Amino acid sequence: MADLSKAGTEYAPMTWEVERGKIRELAQAIGDPNPVYLDKNAAIQAGYKDTPATPTFLTVPMMWSGQMPAIINDLKINFMMVLHGEEEYEYYQLMYPGDVITGTPKITKMEEKTSKSGSKMDLVSMEVLYTNQRGEKVAKARSLLIERK
Amino acid sequence: MAEQIYFEDVNVGDAMPELVKGPLQKLQFVMYAGASGDFNPLHNDDEFAMAVGMKNGVISHGMLVMGVVGQAVTAWIPQKFLKKFGVRFAGMTQKNSTITVSGAVADKRVEGGENIISCDVIAKDENGDVKITGRFEASLPNK
Repeated sequence: MADLSKAGTEYAPMTWEVERGKIRELAQAIGDPNPVYLDKNAAIQAGYKDTPATPTFLTVPMMWSGQMPAIINDLKINFMMVLHGEEEYEYYQLMYPGDVITGTPKITKMEEKTSKSGSKMDLVSMEVLYTNQRGEKVAKARSLLIERK
Repeated sequence: MAEQIYFEDVNVGDAMPELVKGPLQKLQFVMYAGASGDFNPLHNDDEFAMAVGMKNGVISHGMLVMGVVGQAVTAWIPQKFLKKFGVRFAGMTQKNSTITVSGAVADKRVEGGENIISCDVIAKDENGDVKITGRFEASLPNK
């Protein structure tokens, strides 16, 4: 059961280098044939500096850095009972290979809710602001996690 | 590759080009696990998934289905114009599902000197069950 007293917690920043191969790998796993994500020359022809990170790329640093599982542990959420309720991104600029991004996760809200059927669940809202190696804002991610009880 | 798209070309009610993808096989969930780093056994271990109540075994990562919606969006509106993209996960996606992503322009406005379109998107499986509802906003150039 989630520890509701953790609302407002800000976690240590996580830093991650964006790599061309990882952008391509994520696009391939999705099955996205768009050449701008797969081939640098195609991306340049389409007006990009390099292959841009895909719209949902920011899931990669959260998971591969171990940050997301660590936060779930710290919030005392049962990993096996957690559902992803919502995900939202605001994009301030594109991310390219070689960018070093830093994400600072914050728990913005935690609350217990009772569904219409009477089952209880904890809702956890998290926000991560990402900046790049120049200190510029890159994106903001908002997630809603649902722990069934 | 998509042709250049302009603010003038997009109107409220316009449909986003549909994307049909599938069947989503377990191999794709395994590829997505490796790419994303999400190794929750719910998405790669049928025995585990069945033991926690998934009668058809593994289910898709929600973020894979969001990625498929993102593919549909950026096949139409290039990523460099994308400002916001948000979804609600409405249901679990079984393996071997075929997902259809569709959408329509909900709003069009000039805001802070930018040409903004908002578009509602929805992803359904072959039975018509909704998996994702969402919305994106993009800032488009003028002709």
